[in-house]
Amino acid sequence: MPDIPAVSRRLLLGGALATGALAAGVGTAHAAPLAQAGAAPAPTRRRRPGQKSMIDVPFDVHKTVRVGVIGLGQRGSGMSEGWSVVPGCTVTAVCDIREDRARRTADRLAANGKPRPAEYGGSDASYAQMLRRDDVDLVYIATPWEFHYRQGKDALLAGKHVIVELPIATELDELWDLVDTSERTRRHLILSENCSYGRNELAMLKMSHEGLFGDVTNGHGGYLHDLRALLFSDTYYTDAWRRLWHTRSTASFYPMHGLAPIAAAMDINRGDRMTVLRATATEPKGLADYRERFIPKSHPSWKETYVNGDLVTCLIDTDRGRVIRAEHDVSSPRPYSRINSLAGSRGIFEDYAGVMATSGGRIYVEPDHSGHAWKPFDTYRKEFDHWLWKKIGDDAADNGGHGGMDYVLQWRTVQLMRAGLVPDIDVYDSAAWCAPIPLSVKSLAAGGRPVEVPDFTRGSWVNLRLGLDSRTSEMPPVA
Amino acid sequence: MKPAGLITSLRAMAVAAAVLLVPVADVPAVAAAAPQPETAAPTTELTISPVDLDGPAIAAVKVTVKNTGPDRMRSLKVSFAGPVGWLVQPTARSVKGTFAAGATATADFQIQVPEQRPGFTVRTFTATATYKGGDGAQAATATRTQTSGTALPNLAAAYNNVGVTDENDTAPGDYDGDGNSFSAQKLADAGLTPGGKVEALGAELSWPDAAPGTKGNVSSTGQAITLSGSGSKLVFLGSGVTSGAVGTATVHYTDGTSSTGSFGFPNWSFDPADAHGATLVASSDGRNRPDGYGNAGIAYRIFAHSVPLDATKQVEFVVLPSNGNIHVFDMAIAP
Repeated sequence: MPDIPAVSRRLLLGGALATGALAAGVGTAHAAPLAQAGAAPAPTRRRRPGQKSMIDVPFDVHKTVRVGVIGLGQRGSGMSEGWSVVPGCTVTAVCDIREDRARRTADRLAANGKPRPAEYGGSDASYAQMLRRDDVDLVYIATPWEFHYRQGKDALLAGKHVIVELPIATELDELWDLVDTSERTRRHLILSENCSYGRNELAMLKMSHEGLFGDVTNGHGGYLHDLRALLFSDTYYTDAWRRLWHTRSTASFYPMHGLAPIAAAMDINRGDRMTVLRATATEPKGLADYRERFIPKSHPSWKETYVNGDLVTCLIDTDRGRVIRAEHDVSSPRPYSRINSLAGSRGIFEDYAGVMATSGGRIYVEPDHSGHAWKPFDTYRKEFDHWLWKKIGDDAADNGGHGGMDYVLQWRTVQLMRAGLVPDIDVYDSAAWCAPIPLSVKSLAAGGRPVEVPDFTRGSWVNLRLGLDSRTSEMPPVA
Repeated sequence: MKPAGLITSLRAMAVAAAVLLVPVADVPAVAAAAPQPETAAPTTELTISPVDLDGPAIAAVKVTVKNTGPDRMRSLKVSFAGPVGWLVQPTARSVKGTFAAGATATADFQIQVPEQRPGFTVRTFTATATYKGGDGAQAATATRTQTSGTALPNLAAAYNNVGVTDENDTAPGDYDGDGNSFSAQKLADAGLTPGGKVEALGAELSWPDAAPGTKGNVSSTGQAITLSGSGSKLVFLGSGVTSGAVGTATVHYTDGTSSTGSFGFPNWSFDPADAHGATLVASSDGRNRPDGYGNAGIAYRIFAHSVPLDATKQVEFVVLPSNGNIHVFDMAIAP
């Protein structure tokens, strides 16, 4: 079993950090509404001399994007092949604590006619050797959550751009440190938020910008995925790392897939920002009940006690007075949903609406609709289809997992680097979207008390700027 | 929100204005203390710079305020808004300093512009200035309308609803969202036949020349329709579904100006015939339901209503109200 980094006592207990935040008491321009909400002010972090914002900083032009992959489990191995088929991208190195995984991934890429990547493995420090290579431009991290912060920071310090599977970190000070490290090293660190590139999500975003929903007032998203069978699998999550998180803390571990598209549609960090979070959690029943019914008494999981609530809900206020509800539930029997609902003064969109439409979504917007009757989303998705899906949707269907979202994410990331463009998702978005993990711990430890969401942009959120609703651009031709 | 503040350029402008103008302390006390006439007609000039609609983009917008009144303008606050749902930053700016008669002030804004949509679009931007002094009106508003694309050539090109069916084939109909429709036979009994003339409110209209069971009316969702001519009013022929079939039509003239007018239609069946000020044109007996003709003895009706026109100008196109409950079968200009 690999060495698992010690999980922070703050993440387990929460209360200590909450108390510290209260004592810090640094006011903001929004102190009044936050005070009304009863939120503890978040500490303000100052930039070190010479440290500058990474907002609107384009990538340097890369003729070819050379990717190094850390973590070759279920996710990392599949994504390695995904990177390898994007035009102008090559996987030059792969790394896993288990050497055999690195070898198998290299074999598979070579068998696919791709250049054989260098292999690293054998210890939890192997990735550091890989980071010393000078033929890696982008490091993709797909290890268990507890490794993300350290590996992401080390990659930045090694001068690499980084794209990290969810979450980039699980602690507030870690999130701040990644922001600061990105600003100091002038390298981008990006959350690998594939759902932000979902076809429905991007259409929803463009409809929001068009004003189809009127003034957007609220949005709901989440990650509602019955993972019980996988969590108890002896092979799917290496050393059951994901199940063990449910023994450690009560937190919204993984709300980003639903939260990020709503945040994008509300222009969080691009004219609005999340200000206050309050969390609720149900009792932890799902995993224990599943184990009781389906898992043999000899299984190691019987030594575990699950403490995380089955449904953890975060209610998040924004500076412009909107409300986001972000849910997380991976331990209850239910069909999959990321909710994806956005509503405003002129209408509402809801995803995961069953068989109503090919898109899976339903919509009700004035003046197009009346009579309290939902309509299929399909025609709207076609009308507001994002240029990325129009351009590479067919390729995505052929090459990518998760309905093509993975390929769109990878293609776009490579294109941004090759063309020298500003990333759609930056370190500030990544930190903000992951902040509900530690903030939910703080709020739940305080009985659901509101806690302030840090402003990782240090005030720059007020400026409008483009993000995922990007302008059409071309992938530079491959020589 | 952070308190609205000046950007550097605005500060510079305000300082420059103050340099050119009489110091604030020199403003006659009587003018500063005098009660502002609330009914004064604003003469303050507001202009909104053109907005680059080539989105998705963040566009810069400049609002210029000219003090055309006799008194020094002070406590100026400028707000700016785009079409609903378009993010603006900031939404308002306070302009420091005072401004003599004839002086101007500017306020800069950012607006998020979405991707240009195919077809015809009308984008309206609004700026409001509140102030003390100047012309004494205390507030002035300006709008800027920008269009893109081409208006539909005629109302028929906008037909999007099957409102009339044959009693022998009622299935295609869906006038009201529940699959019901007018009976072509009963409309004929009431004098409404495809292509037939209808006179109402001084206008000569036509009943749509569309076969039963095909699209032959417009559920009004802001479509832009080419229309030429001049007259005293624009007459609409139609009726409402569900409730609240009211809205505002915008008439654009060839000289680039526009006028608006609100109107409404009663529900095709249950509202009083004069609801929203409409005029009954025809009543048909019963309606076609998805399973055939029914509801005999109940009137299903067509009305007329109008909005005023500037008779001195030539109409270029009309933007229908953004309310799908309004169904329009024709529109025409009355002398």
